Amino acid sequence: MYIYLPIAEVSLHIGVVIGLGGGVGFLSGLFGVGGGFLMTPLLIFLGVPAPVAVATEANQIVASSVSGVLAHWRRGNVDFKMGTVLLLGGLVGSSLGVLLFALLKEIGQIDLVIKLSYVIFLGIIGALMLIESIRAILRARMPGAKRGKLHQHNWLHGLPFKMRFRRSKLYISALLPFTIAALVGVLSAIMGVGGGFILVPAMIYILGMPTSVVVGTSLFQIIFVTANVTFLQSVQTQTVDFLLAGLLLLGAVVGAQIGTRFGALLKGEQLRGLLALMVLAVCAKLLFDLVITPEDLYSVEILK
Amino acid sequence: MMAHLRPLFLAALLLLSSAAVSAQADPRMLVADLSRDEVAINTNFNGTDLLLFGAVKDHPGSEDIDIIVAVSGPSQQIASRRKDRVSGIWINTEAVVWKNAPTYYHVFTSRPMAEIVSDAARDRFDIGHDYLPLSYVSDTLDKETVQAVWRPALSRNMTESGLWATHENSVEILRDALFRATVRLPANILPGDYQVRVLQLENGQMVAEEITAITVAKRGLGAAIYRFAHDYSAFYGIFAIIFAIASGWLAAVAFRRK
Repeated sequence: MYIYLPIAEVSLHIGVVIGLGGGVGFLSGLFGVGGGFLMTPLLIFLGVPAPVAVATEANQIVASSVSGVLAHWRRGNVDFKMGTVLLLGGLVGSSLGVLLFALLKEIGQIDLVIKLSYVIFLGIIGALMLIESIRAILRARMPGAKRGKLHQHNWLHGLPFKMRFRRSKLYISALLPFTIAALVGVLSAIMGVGGGFILVPAMIYILGMPTSVVVGTSLFQIIFVTANVTFLQSVQTQTVDFLLAGLLLLGAVVGAQIGTRFGALLKGEQLRGLLALMVLAVCAKLLFDLVITPEDLYSVEILK
Repeated sequence: MMAHLRPLFLAALLLLSSAAVSAQADPRMLVADLSRDEVAINTNFNGTDLLLFGAVKDHPGSEDIDIIVAVSGPSQQIASRRKDRVSGIWINTEAVVWKNAPTYYHVFTSRPMAEIVSDAARDRFDIGHDYLPLSYVSDTLDKETVQAVWRPALSRNMTESGLWATHENSVEILRDALFRATVRLPANILPGDYQVRVLQLENGQMVAEEITAITVAKRGLGAAIYRFAHDYSAFYGIFAIIFAIASGWLAAVAFRRK
């Protein structure tokens, strides 16, 4: 059965849409990531216009982050103070991102910028994760290897507006998380992702937050950032397809539950290694599309 | 398919006979109509077929009659873009914006186009996507390049997307008087008014023309969502967020491990 998506203005098989939600939901449950970085490119690949894919995916991530954050909240793994600083940065960044998005759409370069952002960020994050997980696996096999310091002190710790974050056991400048979240917010508006795959490593390696509170806190802030993107895109470009988001959600909810159960069977570093490979595969596919000579150098877009 | 075509064809015959009765009063030589006058894009829309049927009332020459049908959808601005390799990757560089291009343009003919009508006549009567009068805006390109390179590229891209097409030999003519054709509207059509132009030709000359119309409109749940998104966009955004929060919460509760 085909379903005509009223905002995307394309007709897709309903099984494909729910299946896509389920598949990406499974992977996000398995790896503990939002899955936006997989869903958005796949939606574009299915023929959903890029602006609709990005805005709709933001709407869907609101739901998956809410359902994810509740479990972390119950275990006390959310640093609300840090989360608030992050979400303020995220709101500023994502608002700028939506404006930038509209500007790029106007000049006809939005598809390119979306794809390039994916290639660059998936490439960097994927490579870092892969190296880290290989090291972790090797370290586990070589007992007696030294662990490095939890985090180093450098010029970043000399910045003003220092705040104490008790849950995160940190005393750092609020400017640091604010700026990181703002940058991730811009990307999240342009790429249609929650940004967890950038924010989580940044929180661990740059801020030096304990791993236990990182995921819960990032999910907490992602809710607000993606809600902001959903709202601004609705008002500015009318590209949020509520029907598409609902169908994806239906599949994703079930897929994520199955994924979580499978995830419990694998080791952390193995999971991170697998996730890194998947991230790099998406990156390679997008890079390949940008580099090979297109079948037709000319393309059309119906302007409205 | 045939089962539901039959009553329509009977209707066409009726139309023909009534036209014959009023031959003196009605100066028109050609009548044509469609099986529907409105196409609804609802949530299970995946393109649709329409039956176009009609009759030729008078037939002055001894030659066989030829019919050309041109169906054109709502005109929009369409941007054509060309990619160039810039430091290793393919980037959109130059662009032409067509001011009034039809978003749907399908032509149906009773015989191969070249046998029915000359290129000069096609140009005069605007038949076929290569002969549509299109105006454009471009900052950098000269007229010759646009006509020689960009115009064919537009036709190629629109044909590739299924929105423009020429279907030769697709108009069936019966007993030199009745004709019919199946008009395919793909899933990616835009809502709006569609003009159906039926031309009767003999020896490459146009002898009669009939214009009718069909409306394509969004209907049902999809239309409601679309109107909500466009007319009350702030509420729509808030509603989408509340819906997402509620369903995320529900999912967490439903799957909470006991």
